[in-house]
Amino acid sequence: MQAETQHESVRHGLIAMLPRLKGFADVLVGDKRQGRALLRRALKRMLADQHRYQRGTPLDRFAFAEIYRLWLGQLRDHADPLRQAKPSGADFERLLRRGGAPDFDAETASFLGALPPQQRSTLLLVYGEGFAHEDAGLVLDTGPDTIQARLIRACASLADRLGVSSPAPASATVEALYPREATEGP
Amino acid sequence: MTELSDELLVAYVDGQLARDQTRAVDKVLDQDDVVARRAEALKQAHSRFECAFEAILAGEVSELMTNAPSLPPPVRRRRGNGLAKIGVITAGLGLGLFALVAGYGWPLALSERATLPQAGEMSSAIGTWQDEAVRAQSLLSRDSVEVAAESQGNFDLVALQMAQVIGPAVKIPDLEAQGFKFMRGQLLRFEGEPLAQLLYLGGGTAPLALYARRGEDEARDGFAKSGAIGSVAWSDDGIAYLLAGEEDMVTLLRLAEKIRHEPPAAEPASTRKLSAN
Repeated sequence: MQAETQHESVRHGLIAMLPRLKGFADVLVGDKRQGRALLRRALKRMLADQHRYQRGTPLDRFAFAEIYRLWLGQLRDHADPLRQAKPSGADFERLLRRGGAPDFDAETASFLGALPPQQRSTLLLVYGEGFAHEDAGLVLDTGPDTIQARLIRACASLADRLGVSSPAPASATVEALYPREATEGP
Repeated sequence: MTELSDELLVAYVDGQLARDQTRAVDKVLDQDDVVARRAEALKQAHSRFECAFEAILAGEVSELMTNAPSLPPPVRRRRGNGLAKIGVITAGLGLGLFALVAGYGWPLALSERATLPQAGEMSSAIGTWQDEAVRAQSLLSRDSVEVAAESQGNFDLVALQMAQVIGPAVKIPDLEAQGFKFMRGQLLRFEGEPLAQLLYLGGGTAPLALYARRGEDEARDGFAKSGAIGSVAWSDDGIAYLLAGEEDMVTLLRLAEKIRHEPPAAEPASTRKLSAN
């Protein structure tokens, strides 16, 4: 009975968060159609294995982390990840245009579209969702320092591109997909 | 010229610095145009990111709302006479919820009891001001007016009283960080049972209210909208909650999610403050 109650609570919690989860999946993948497919698989998995959700853990953090883990798992399982199709800038722009905001910001859309998924998701979690760096790090399986570094690179890069300051790098630094420990020297 | 790194300026723009550090950076910005321009550019970048993600979220919500008309015909559901009395449950019930599920066929499909109310049912909930006033009056009890107004505004006293009356698991959330200041809490009644009402004020003109009542409310779960008032209902640890206000759906859902993860009122104040941060 307790498990049933928890299942209901997880399910309803997920429903309430669906626009946010969908936004996260779309931004992570960079494309609406693939984002939807990713979210569908993630939701199925979350509900099938809902016992893994521990009471007391913020449900949004749990759900975002599940989506991210699934995405990363698929990337790792890909026979040739380097040849994976990359969503176009136009795909990403469509995500922003749907809101119907009169002042569509093409420059920021194109900038975000060119970023690596991990960096884009970091920006979404911190600037879009208001996550603390620690929580964003838990979702993206990295440390708060990396989160901070990603934010700095992205902000500095966009600021440069906006032409207010020094010459602009083409885009923010592409980050390796390997875990932090593997990239840090002794 | 003073050299300030992007690391420091981004932390400054993001509000991550300690107060004295912020003051020190402010001072540099006042005196150095080059650094000030860089900080302004970073602030602009930050703000553009925020706007972009808001636009994406708005797109998700509007897409889900658009899907609502394609829903299967609504099935009449059993409705209690309860919180509907305060006029927050009617048309558009679960637009978000149903739209979410409608277009996707995901394993999130709701049970049969949670379905759209029919048109007649919705219109019958809208009455004259006299009807509404009588309904509101029916919620008042001795407890509503016996407790002094000053005590109703004391967060800790209210938390204690609500924990005693509604149950130790009741959530009395601090929503200051979300922009809503706790104003007061009072006890109403419904069908002879106590009903807690917590009132908060944010930037808007209307207050935000959280209602809590003992027992699980099976008839109602999710988002609903009636005129300008939106509401989110859920049950947790044997207590049914309703969050109502004129905020948009996303804001209400986010607040509800935050409240769901609040520690119970019965926990020591120090733990609750820590957890809230």
